Amino acid sequence: MSQPVYYLDHAAATPIDERVLAVMRPYFSEKFYNPSSPYAPAVAIRKEYEDAKHILAQTIGAKGDELVITAGATESINLAIHSVQGHIISSSIEHHAVLKAVESREHTLVNPNKKGTISADAVKLALRSDTELVSVQLANNEIGTIQPLRDIAAVVLAERARRVEVGDSRPIYLHTDASQGFGQIDVNVARLGVDMLSLNSGKMYGPKQVALLWCKPGVRLSPLVLGGGQERGLRSGTENVAGVIGFAEAARLAHKQRKSESVRLMEIRDTMQKKLVDAFGEMILLSGNQKKRLPGSLHISLPGIDGERLVFSLESEGVFLATGSACAANQGTRSHVLTAIGMSDAEADGSLRITLGKLSSEKSVAEATEIIIRHVKKEMERMHA
Amino acid sequence: MSNVYVGMSGGVDSSLTAALLVEAGHKVTGVYMKNWTQDLPGMRCPWADDLADAKRVAVHLGIDFTVFDFEKEYKQNVVDYMISEYTEGRTPNPDIMCNQEIKFKLFLETALAAGAEYVATGHYACTESGKLLLAEDDNKDQTYFLYRVTKQALDKTLFPLGNYTKPQVREMAEARGLITAAKKDSVGICFVGQIGMREFLSQYITATPGDVIDKQSGNVIGRHDGAIFYTLGQRHGLAIGGGLPYYVVGKDMQRNIVYVSRNLQDETMWRESVDLQSIHWINQPVDEQADIMVRVRHRAPLVPAKLYGNTVRFNEAQRALTPGQSAVLYVGNECVGGGIVA
Repeated sequence: MSQPVYYLDHAAATPIDERVLAVMRPYFSEKFYNPSSPYAPAVAIRKEYEDAKHILAQTIGAKGDELVITAGATESINLAIHSVQGHIISSSIEHHAVLKAVESREHTLVNPNKKGTISADAVKLALRSDTELVSVQLANNEIGTIQPLRDIAAVVLAERARRVEVGDSRPIYLHTDASQGFGQIDVNVARLGVDMLSLNSGKMYGPKQVALLWCKPGVRLSPLVLGGGQERGLRSGTENVAGVIGFAEAARLAHKQRKSESVRLMEIRDTMQKKLVDAFGEMILLSGNQKKRLPGSLHISLPGIDGERLVFSLESEGVFLATGSACAANQGTRSHVLTAIGMSDAEADGSLRITLGKLSSEKSVAEATEIIIRHVKKEMERMHA
Repeated sequence: MSNVYVGMSGGVDSSLTAALLVEAGHKVTGVYMKNWTQDLPGMRCPWADDLADAKRVAVHLGIDFTVFDFEKEYKQNVVDYMISEYTEGRTPNPDIMCNQEIKFKLFLETALAAGAEYVATGHYACTESGKLLLAEDDNKDQTYFLYRVTKQALDKTLFPLGNYTKPQVREMAEARGLITAAKKDSVGICFVGQIGMREFLSQYITATPGDVIDKQSGNVIGRHDGAIFYTLGQRHGLAIGGGLPYYVVGKDMQRNIVYVSRNLQDETMWRESVDLQSIHWINQPVDEQADIMVRVRHRAPLVPAKLYGNTVRFNEAQRALTPGQSAVLYVGNECVGGGIVA
């Protein structure tokens, strides 16, 4: 019998759902046609592709023709950011896709508070008359903190109103990287009040390297990839039909199961958290906004312990999780998120990121928790030997 | 039981070294030496993977693990040395310099300062009361790279693999469940990596094209893209088509000329003696005119010779003794020292 696997890293990657794979499969073989071809079977594929985009859009409360399909969320984010010319406001705890994309632009990075929350007030303070984009993540991929996007949207809306008032035609948009959280929390473009949204198939049990950028009608994008003019000329290249079919099915399933799944994950997460706190008491530090956190997220820190050692030691028992610090003795590889929320080096180096998801049953997480506790204790004993 | 710091590179040799020392009852600390590397776009630099492998093995063995950052010193003492040697027209051996300056000097000193009583590495060599001896595995023996190490360093050094062959090492690593057991051996110079020496050097040295001259006829028979890129005895990469192959038999760095010949017996290709510079003796110098054995490149056979002052006289002429490379001297199974081919 092979060793059981306790996968606790759903924020990094998710396995493709069997049902998703099943609907994708024909598009690799008998339904291989180029949707731009003129004959009947290809025209049929075009329709199926557009229908899938429509279903996909519905899951976020949008329309199919408001989506641009990209190869991965990094591209989606880059497309959004490179579509504006003026000043950009973002946060210091965004994914590198955002941080690197804004680097070449005039930008301000807003810092979070200790819980990792980007406050609407901080965004407001960073506003300039030439600000054209605010980009704040829906939820943080490391500590799980959910951002107050609606409040931030209100700030952007007020600034837009002010500009109308004074006759300033410069646009200002709110973009969010919603790669983390779909299927766990509500992701609806109208309720969030955003103008652009990036969504990632690979984090919701769909295929990797498929993502979308949703834009409110009226937002003008400038394409990064030029060619045959697919995706309304905003992202050229033959459509990834199988990918989009899979993405749509994954989104549909995640959307449908969202409420029950979030309750389930929260219960398992809270039980795990309690066991870890009971085992390590004051030695353990819980990070992220405990109240406004993704249901599957648990970020802990054991200062003094080397998180990377634990990752390596736990992998021998099939427990896979992440740490905020690779190669602890090496400067510069500490997570920028943990540094930004004010963690000390020891706290960051001793951090473990646990992200639960579909592979996390109550039983498997209970077992994994016991293994983690055992390995942490063993490591503590080794260090004090 | 001693406090031993082991240089762990993430390869199978140093992994097993650490494992054997743990089994022998020592208090072992694994150390990854972070040396200088270039980050080139489009190239995957393997050091981070190697570091992770080294640390994985350390965790598996339950030993402490740390990183010594020698980037600056490595760049100065190894990389810059290599570049300057090439600029002078010689063909240096950076591995020898790395052992002399980094592993058996800086690493040793840093480890001792941190509380180590000994350091260990996964080299295939043996030590015995301050002497450097040939490894059990003829094919893997690495004493060629170690001849510039001092006696004082050897006194503090353990080479647990010296009595094993490479296949045995892999087997033992496998038996111990070390994840590096089947990992491919690294080849070439670590910091040059996949790009190759020519491309690497081109970033630091502006090479100017020049003439390739046939030494026998004195005629210009082609062009080269920089004399620094050529090494004595080299056959390939001359871009001279047709007929018998030409070999590099000399270089004039001042005039940027590469001399080639089709004559395999060319006198500069085969030399009965060679002058050494920067001679290093691990213990006592050998007696004048004593019978010694010499190795002129890694894995080359040991050949008999005699030493006259700084001059090695071979019993039989040797091919392509390249300036900048080392001639390493042996008496019996002991590596006694050596020098750099002038």
